[in-house]
Amino acid sequence: MSDDETVVVSARRMLTADVCEFELRRADGALFEPAEPGAHITVHTPSGEARSYSLTADVSDRSRRVIAVRRDENGRGGSRSMVDEVHDGDTLVISPARNAFELVEAPSYLLVAAGIGITPIRAMLIELLRRGVTDVRLVYLSRSRDETPYLEEMEEMEEIAELIEPTAAGAERSITLHHRTLHGALDWWPLLETPGERHLYVCGPEPLQNELRALTMHWRPSRVHMEDFAGVSAFGEISLPFEVDWQPTGARIPVTSDQTMLAALEGAGIDVDSSCGSGTCGTCRLRLVEGEADHRDVVLTESERVHFVMPCVSRALSDRLVVAPSAVAPQ
Amino acid sequence: MHGTIDSLYRYPVKGLTPEPLDRVALEAGRAFPADRLFALAKPTGAYDAENFVPLSKREYFVLLNTDRLAGLAARYDPENRTMRVTVQGHPVLEADFGTAEGRAEFVELYARVADLPDGVRPVLAEQPGYNFTDNANDGPRMMNTISLINRASIRDLEQRIGRELDPLRFRANVYLEGLEPWAERQWIGRELRLGGSGGSGGVTVRVVEETERCAATEVDPTTARRDVPVVRLLHENYGHEIMGVFAEVLSGGELAVGDTVSVGDEEAA
Repeated sequence: MSDDETVVVSARRMLTADVCEFELRRADGALFEPAEPGAHITVHTPSGEARSYSLTADVSDRSRRVIAVRRDENGRGGSRSMVDEVHDGDTLVISPARNAFELVEAPSYLLVAAGIGITPIRAMLIELLRRGVTDVRLVYLSRSRDETPYLEEMEEMEEIAELIEPTAAGAERSITLHHRTLHGALDWWPLLETPGERHLYVCGPEPLQNELRALTMHWRPSRVHMEDFAGVSAFGEISLPFEVDWQPTGARIPVTSDQTMLAALEGAGIDVDSSCGSGTCGTCRLRLVEGEADHRDVVLTESERVHFVMPCVSRALSDRLVVAPSAVAPQ
Repeated sequence: MHGTIDSLYRYPVKGLTPEPLDRVALEAGRAFPADRLFALAKPTGAYDAENFVPLSKREYFVLLNTDRLAGLAARYDPENRTMRVTVQGHPVLEADFGTAEGRAEFVELYARVADLPDGVRPVLAEQPGYNFTDNANDGPRMMNTISLINRASIRDLEQRIGRELDPLRFRANVYLEGLEPWAERQWIGRELRLGGSGGSGGVTVRVVEETERCAATEVDPTTARRDVPVVRLLHENYGHEIMGVFAEVLSGGELAVGDTVSVGDEEAA
């Protein structure tokens, strides 16, 4: 990609037996674009595979990008080639930072990291402590002390955190290191029972994400954050945001990637009759006045698709669609 | 053709989780007891408690629009009017529906689940003599039907699509076993005899309509994730979007899990 930049490995160190941290600086000596905690970069690894890694240090330091890579013995070779073949002074090609795991402003945070999942969570913790947020709790899971990237740093922060006087009732700054072989399974419920104003950030393997998602069903979903494949629908289709104009009023309504056009219209107070919600019954049919639709229904014929669209499942190929009630005859 | 009753369920709040029953007493001309007694109506929508008219399911928080509803287990005790809600077995609410406070706590919880803006809550809808089935929009006769699913038809769909489907995606009252796949598609207008073999009397029902499915079935009842496009797969595999039937109770009695089911001769509806 044209936005990619060439970087030099300015330092590398093994954090555990199989996790290696790389510090990258731009080959031309310039600063990187600003990045947010939670962001990741894509690295073109020596194996030829492109791999995404979260930024893990203080992201406000624009002179470097820091990532940590766990060598996956059974993977397709991307991480292995990074740990085994990339040395100080080598050059790599990386993408600009992109963020699919945004850290929002909140009065209280619960951060959960497991193993190499500490990488974006560490960047978040550093940012939150710099902002002076007083109510932050980190739970960091790993198999054993030896398999804990940034163990010593986290232990130091654990001690510092305990010395800080909480500013509000119930507020706390704490870091809990939980090693499964030492401490067994963690009882999550006391941490999750009362959501309050807290935001939860989780980075870890899928079973952990599924467990915590199931245990936070009484939370506001907007306060539970897990890095996932945003924009890919449950059925494997890519869904990008777009805009829809409601022709009768001229209202312009954004449709987010995790929302249907029908839900966006309803959310804007536009009454569209609907029934099946799956593109089969034909009830919610709208007239397509302008724009190119991504038809995902199974009711409209090819010729109907020129003039109509089913907002319960269909989306846009153009940036914007203009729609109107279908009762009005097409011109 | 003979089958058996595999399981019995009621859904005291429209859109919320099922409650399994070992047995149930049905009355002639009446719906499944304590089924869809309540609904969570959208606060700025068409629901008007004082001047109630049947409304589209879009006016309520249901699985069609709020998949996370499946992630909290809601249990209602009609005797004491208490609602218990648990998350993975952990209690998160015990509310007395007999008090305004209890009802307020309940809608507060579901305001969070549906992620409504601060201060906005669903309306706990309840209307005497009314149940909030989708069928209720088609008049009192259809409102007072019970829903049945042939599990063999679900298995046939599972085989065609190569995925397992929890039968509870289809949210029926009565699940039947031991029948041919899609046998129920020949039942419209016919009578079924449910139970009665053990001297409990049993129930006679007449099948009146097939069940057109909606996107609520896309949500896995265990993970609360929208993961399989069930309606679309029905359409692609069979050319219809039907799973299950509705039946009206002709003569009341008791039904229990394990009871036999027999299908009467074909007759005019």
